[in-house]
Amino acid sequence: MKLDWSILWGEAGLLILQGLVVTLKLSACVLALAFLLGLVFGTLRWLGLKATEPLCWLYVEFARNTPPVVQILFWYFSASYILPGWLFLQLRDVGYEFGAAVVALSIYHGAFVAEVVRAGLGSVPSGQSDSARALGLGFFQSLRRIILPQALRITVPPLVNEAVSIIKNTSLAMAIGVAELTYQYKHIDIFDFRGIEALAAVTVIYVVLCTLTAGFGQLLNVRLSRHVAVRRGLRPILTSE
Amino acid sequence: MQLERVWTAANWERLLVGDLFNKGVMGGLLLTLVLGVSSIVISTVLGGALGAMRASPRRALSIASGTYVQIFRSVPLLILIFWAYFFPPAFGFEISKFSSVLLALTLFTAAYVGEIVHGGIRSVAQGQLEAARALGMSPLETQLKIVLPQAFFNMLPALTGRYIVSLKNTSLAFLIGLADLTEIGKQIGARLMTAPIEVYLTLLVIYFAVNLGLSTLMRLLEDRGRFNRIFLRI
Repeated sequence: MKLDWSILWGEAGLLILQGLVVTLKLSACVLALAFLLGLVFGTLRWLGLKATEPLCWLYVEFARNTPPVVQILFWYFSASYILPGWLFLQLRDVGYEFGAAVVALSIYHGAFVAEVVRAGLGSVPSGQSDSARALGLGFFQSLRRIILPQALRITVPPLVNEAVSIIKNTSLAMAIGVAELTYQYKHIDIFDFRGIEALAAVTVIYVVLCTLTAGFGQLLNVRLSRHVAVRRGLRPILTSE
Repeated sequence: MQLERVWTAANWERLLVGDLFNKGVMGGLLLTLVLGVSSIVISTVLGGALGAMRASPRRALSIASGTYVQIFRSVPLLILIFWAYFFPPAFGFEISKFSSVLLALTLFTAAYVGEIVHGGIRSVAQGQLEAARALGMSPLETQLKIVLPQAFFNMLPALTGRYIVSLKNTSLAFLIGLADLTEIGKQIGARLMTAPIEVYLTLLVIYFAVNLGLSTLMRLLEDRGRFNRIFLRI
């Protein structure tokens, strides 16, 4: 079989670019929502309130231990039964594949982020919150100003890993027909019979995206933990070692 | 909820073993488990080699392993499955759906296992190595008797997480038409038409139960005393 790379400069290349835009949008939405969910549930689990703990446990364990692609299928196919009728009809007209993928992937990754956040909060010595309270800060104030900044700094490396994994998992949205990168590869394969070239292009794009994200995370980590390391003369905690 | 429509005997049979009894084709949960377990076993061996290479003092080996890990960790598994399934036939090699998914899943998981093994080896304190050398152990003996046993228990929790991801990832097989648990569930859902919540919830619960079982099994290994009693008869 002869490879013809010139197709990437034609219509196929345009399709791939469109796919890239959708992948980026999907990743951004999932990233924002998953981090929000993770922050809320991670904090709740860290608090360990008797009333919320069973629900939080069920959410985190169930979301983490089931395949993301099945979760996507679940939310996509049961949308018409879960949503109220009028809302579903309106959504159906504009297409709700993207929304279903965002919801499913956010719930999936939110559970992982929640565990990271809980571990990060747990790693802040309890003396910090005690002294914050003793200085007269309220509960939310001490959480926002004292505990979370320290905890989030520690959680940067695992959160960056999570971001990379979110970018990779957006490829699963093709299962319900969201026109992101992997979907566009499939499209080109079916209509142009130029699968290998398109697949190579898409692979390179994913590698670049993931490497850039990981590199950005590394920079962020170095920046955030720089003054900590200098001031205490310590290596930052919870790096890869 | 109309669970009784999903939970008929015929549907259960298809979900659990696929068409094993009437057509002799394995499918459903059985296929998912076979795929998952074989990829876990092979990728552990491969990942062990990658991790050892990464930790080796020879730069060429270390860089080769690092490059492999970096590349395979930044590509979605789905893309790897498409590579394994569509690349060989384009150049005249036939590859079955099962083996292409197994190949992709194994290479993908091996990269992560390699990182875990590398981390595990590095987690053993330097003093342990020096003490072993001071006691007159050879480098190989040091690795086998001092480093590996300690690294093994340090790696276990991370490995458990990776194995669970691996089992979850077998569900991507349905995207190239392999009749795994997800594919059979999708078919049942398409036939029933009006019970997607019940069908997919059943699928999710099955995956959840399997993964919970796996992590419970792995946690049994983490208890060092129990591990020694069972596997080493100490």
